[in-house]
Amino acid sequence: MSETSQTKPDKNSRINVIKFALLVSFVCSLLITAAAGGLKGFQQENIELDKRLNLLKAANLVDPDEKPSKQEIKRLYDTHIQAAIVDSQGKIIETDTSDSMHLYFYKTEDVIQGYILPINSRGLWGKIQGYLAFENDGQTVSGFSVFSHSETPGLGGEIESAWFQKNFKGKKILNSQNKFVSVGIAKGKVANLPEKDQENYVDGISGATLTGKYLSEGIKSTLTQYESVSITFRQKNLTAKEKD
Amino acid sequence: MLKDKTHYMEILVRGIWKENPVAYQVLGICSALAVTVQMSTALVMAVALTVVTAFSSMIISTLRKKIPSNIRIIVELAIISSLVIVTDEVLKAFFYDTSKQLSIFVGLIITNCIVLGRAEAFALANDPIDSFVDGIANGIGYGMILVVVAFVRELLGSGKFFGLPVIPQFLFDLGYQNMGLMVLAPGAFFIIGLLVWLKNSLPGVSHEKK
Repeated sequence: MSETSQTKPDKNSRINVIKFALLVSFVCSLLITAAAGGLKGFQQENIELDKRLNLLKAANLVDPDEKPSKQEIKRLYDTHIQAAIVDSQGKIIETDTSDSMHLYFYKTEDVIQGYILPINSRGLWGKIQGYLAFENDGQTVSGFSVFSHSETPGLGGEIESAWFQKNFKGKKILNSQNKFVSVGIAKGKVANLPEKDQENYVDGISGATLTGKYLSEGIKSTLTQYESVSITFRQKNLTAKEKD
Repeated sequence: MLKDKTHYMEILVRGIWKENPVAYQVLGICSALAVTVQMSTALVMAVALTVVTAFSSMIISTLRKKIPSNIRIIVELAIISSLVIVTDEVLKAFFYDTSKQLSIFVGLIITNCIVLGRAEAFALANDPIDSFVDGIANGIGYGMILVVVAFVRELLGSGKFFGLPVIPQFLFDLGYQNMGLMVLAPGAFFIIGLLVWLKNSLPGVSHEKK
């Protein structure tokens, strides 16, 4: 740049404008590429760790308000979480097929306590990704967590907050007639709904009606897709009860 | 290059109070509407914007004699957005939680008129250190308004202060209700409007009489 200002004192000459524009774009793109490329490893590690933390949160192995250390997350994940693949009938299989589905089991001392489904829903501004965990009975929600979304902070972004996620605990995806209805996000407070629906809804977020609507739809479609898994769990639970 | 203290104090006072970016220059209103539902998000946005404005003003001021004037706005934007993206990448790598909190604020910073406004109005005509101080001042001025607006909106809209409930339960039992309007964007319009009016009607700061 210094030599151009000496040979051509006019910084607004056409050749100088082009030179300057090229130089600025080159330096800027170099900077961004270097930052993005050089830091990718660290970022991916963070994302992976965050996903694991959210799996643990959904399974109630970590409190939503807590921030455990890296080592603690790794240890909890290794001892409690097991990734699995199932076919469309809900049977566990070894390798991916065209209609296979991914999920996780959470266990204590090698006994399966429940299962965790990955939620991939539409949001108001972008995708919402999270986990929904169920107890062994195949119908009671044990927790919900979100690891990626682009909702407005303070409004739809509240889906990340502890109070909203705690909301899900103990809700049912079956209605009083044992029919599948999914778990939805109410418009307003659950307490204002008719008594028979209260088990199937969680408190909504004021100012984020659309986020709630889309997330409800996303949860419902995931649950419909994984219903065979839930049915397997329900049947197992019933036979176990009969034996007692 | 360093000038005496009162010179920098003057720049600070001008940015924070006399020519406050929101209340006087009426810049950055869009983001002020979006992020003032809660105090915590407002504060994060204020810090992020202050850092970006300060450094972009400094860089642009360093280059001010080299930037061809007919493409200066594009050059300024390129510098600002590169800076923001690089900062975002660094945050994602080393401060993942903060970066998650910032989420869409990063995009909002690039489009915030305060950053470009200060580059145009100040950095192009002043030296790098002055510009840096000016960026800090405007960031604080913006953040101050943001936090005040967020305080009112969070208190009246959800009965909370920094996420902690502060309205006692017996008031709700007596029939008190949170104001739904405050959670939505129009609530911020009313409060910002009232703040602009308040600031300009205080003695000694009215700009109309001059």
